[in-house]
Amino acid sequence: MLALQPPPQAPIDAPQIEYSAILPVLILLGAACIGVLVEAFVSKASRWAAQVTLSLLAILGAGLAFVLYVTDSPERGLTTLYRTIAVDRPALFLWGTLLALGLGALLLIADRTVERGGAFVAQAGIRPGTVQDRAQMASGGMQTEVFPLTLFALSGMMIFCAANDLLTMFIALEVLSLPLYLMCGLARRRRLISQESAVKYFLLGAFASAFFLYGLALLYGYAGSVKLADIANAAAGSAASDTLLFGGFGLLVVGLMFKASVGPFHAWTPDVYQGSPTPITAFMAACTKVAAFGGILRVLTVGFESTSWEWRGVLWVVAVASMVIGAVLGLTQTDIKRMLAYSSIAHAGFLLVGALALRPEGLSGTLFYLLTYGFTTLAAFGAVSLVRDSNGEATHLSQWAGLAKRSPVLAWVFAFLLLAMAGIPLTSGFIGKFVVFSAGIQDGMAPLVVIALVASAVAAFFYLRVIVLMFFSDPAPDGPTVTVPGTFTTAAITLGVLVTLVLGLVPAFALDWAGTGTFAF
Amino acid sequence: MTPTYYLLLSALLFTIGAVGVLVRRNAIVVFMCVELMLNAVNLTLVTFARINGSLDGQVMAFFVMVVAAAEVVVGLAIIMSIFRTRRTASVDDANLLKY
Amino acid sequence: MSNSAMLLAQAGAEVAKVSTGEAISFWILAPLALGGALGMIFARNAVHSAMFLVLTMLSLGVMYMVQQAPFLGFVQIIVYTGAIMMLFLFVLMLVGRDSSDSVVEVLRGQRVWAAILGIGLAGLLVTGVAEALTSVRPVGLAEQNAGGANVANIGRSVFTDYLFPFELTSALLITAALGAMVLGYTDKSKRRTQRETADARFRGEHDRPSPLPGPGVYATANSVAVPALLPDGSIAPESVSAIIEATASRELATDIETVAGAIPGPDAHALKPAAAKEGDK
Repeated sequence: MLALQPPPQAPIDAPQIEYSAILPVLILLGAACIGVLVEAFVSKASRWAAQVTLSLLAILGAGLAFVLYVTDSPERGLTTLYRTIAVDRPALFLWGTLLALGLGALLLIADRTVERGGAFVAQAGIRPGTVQDRAQMASGGMQTEVFPLTLFALSGMMIFCAANDLLTMFIALEVLSLPLYLMCGLARRRRLISQESAVKYFLLGAFASAFFLYGLALLYGYAGSVKLADIANAAAGSAASDTLLFGGFGLLVVGLMFKASVGPFHAWTPDVYQGSPTPITAFMAACTKVAAFGGILRVLTVGFESTSWEWRGVLWVVAVASMVIGAVLGLTQTDIKRMLAYSSIAHAGFLLVGALALRPEGLSGTLFYLLTYGFTTLAAFGAVSLVRDSNGEATHLSQWAGLAKRSPVLAWVFAFLLLAMAGIPLTSGFIGKFVVFSAGIQDGMAPLVVIALVASAVAAFFYLRVIVLMFFSDPAPDGPTVTVPGTFTTAAITLGVLVTLVLGLVPAFALDWAGTGTFAF
Repeated sequence: MTPTYYLLLSALLFTIGAVGVLVRRNAIVVFMCVELMLNAVNLTLVTFARINGSLDGQVMAFFVMVVAAAEVVVGLAIIMSIFRTRRTASVDDANLLKY
Repeated sequence: MSNSAMLLAQAGAEVAKVSTGEAISFWILAPLALGGALGMIFARNAVHSAMFLVLTMLSLGVMYMVQQAPFLGFVQIIVYTGAIMMLFLFVLMLVGRDSSDSVVEVLRGQRVWAAILGIGLAGLLVTGVAEALTSVRPVGLAEQNAGGANVANIGRSVFTDYLFPFELTSALLITAALGAMVLGYTDKSKRRTQRETADARFRGEHDRPSPLPGPGVYATANSVAVPALLPDGSIAPESVSAIIEATASRELATDIETVAGAIPGPDAHALKPAAAKEGDK
């Protein structure tokens, strides 16, 4: 038995951690934990105020820590915590984008003026359609657990874009996904389709993460490590069979594309976007897209650049599929939230064009496109939540007819956002498309760019259809009304519209910032 | 027989799980199929740890188990809530035992 | 399969072989694991599926131990099989009879396509792995596991190389606990008294003022599945709980009509506006 005594271990040295670099993430995670304690110890009446204050302070604090770090961050970036996380210029750009978008989404989530008591159910445990449910519908409470869940999801997204190895990336993927699965099912109105969207999102998400994991396992078998840099080294130098490498890469990409709602892996997107509470849809549409493409950019650039000529053709097909599916199926939609979901699938295809360029212009272009798309879509979903009738949000397109006569301000704001999504000059969407497509052409992907231009022309048609409907149709007599939003929603929509406008007029500073550096590993 | 056989077994288990997700209609069984896929991944990781001669694969298999545990809790909670809703929509059924 | 088996037969000649004992245990455990997996996807009853999955997981746990991962093997059996699968069974029991699966195909030809897809994926993965690893010489973990240091070395890497993912899993666990509480907990503090409920019933806030009629136990039989009779001699359908198997024919009536094509089947796009109106209660 003495032989089983393990040999004495050398003591573990405390790791060198660059706290200043990862402070924004730590602040968010810490605030989320405090938020859980607030749920336990603060009385129900004052919980909402406490949670909103805490979450806003956390995001602003994280933003402050971020700004302080960015001003003197090293040019080439750094890796810390045993090289599991890489804080470099692209990661910092994405962190800034995510924090700003997260602030906007949090304001939408916290709003209680548009819907009495907020967009979230007072008690998710009560069955829909029961007497108790009708009673709680009239009450003004909400599940304030949404706030810590949002903070967890946001920190998971930030880690996802900075993860330097696949395992950290996988855990971050789950940290960002689990709260989203939960929050999808918490709508106050239409609880059945909200719960259904949660189940769909969860099952398909778990399925996709299993593919991601199997890819991770095969790449571990190939390279003996899951660090992106080690995989790149093994791919460049190894004479071993590449079957494991490409099998692993393919499975990994399926998982990533699912999260980014690209192309043929989009099946969940319309249902989940339609079923979840609109503030959560805004959060998902804006922030998850940014995080997922941040991860895709890092994996493609750091891990697999040396083998790009072998896999790029496949991703071309994926990008084309995504653009075509988004643009064509978007035409047939009659629900505004579903239409925006298909629009997001088309945009994912455009973003993939930039990500495939694998050159500095492609990287900076994709980052800039993410910034512009995030703010535009955030404001668009914020605007959707304002058009309501007695059953809650009126999302059917026919109900939007003649909206300009009821509320010219909202109609103009929404039209502007749609034009930005279509990529009309003087909006940020135009600049975004321009930089991404020109990066594609520089990299010799002219056919793909031509397809992308055709797809964006088709997509422009369904945006214009909504604008025509709003401005040139007669309103239905029993049509929806436009709620006058309170401070929070107004602030979020204004933020989105202003960024869309400013980046359309003077994009240079953001483009410069996006182009300042490359990935560290 | 070589350790490669374990990898073949895990590839088969992974595929069976994936097919199960596609054909089964019951949400809980679908979720069990996903669990089978994760188990297949773990077998791959453990076998590669042995082939590569490093413990990293075993550590990663632990992480997969932790993630699976958290995922199961969330998933079953979501599936339970929809099952409770859909089976009976009327309160009178649920109040049967109170009188 | 025969194709890949041939490939393997060639491969086996060049590669370092494992011990006979391991080979025997593999050839016992692998069919068990595969059988469990197949049983899981073919069993109609969800509880049977869960038990088949337990069989697969137990076999995998033993395989981990054989493959120099003793600690992982025990964790697999204790945590995965013991805790996670029991949670599944628990939920299945709570959900009750509805846990058995419907055999109606919602999308036409879906199973055939899934089977083709599955066989394709299996062929791809199996031949890919077999081809990629023909000349692999496993290093083995004898050094890392020397003197039972497996656990110590795993712990060491959790706190060094994998420190950050490890800390991050705590966020995951908190989320899981929070989520279960959000979806499961209902505040019972403001529950109505019996008197208030009775008043509410007669005000018409419930579907019917009286409780549901009891079953016909003791009238002609001693089973709760026997329906009660109304004064006019007809059967009171509400008297049998909807959870009881005897009502299956009533529940099945819709299935039968669906198969016959009399009523439209379940909609694959259940979130369309029509369904939305219905769901909007």
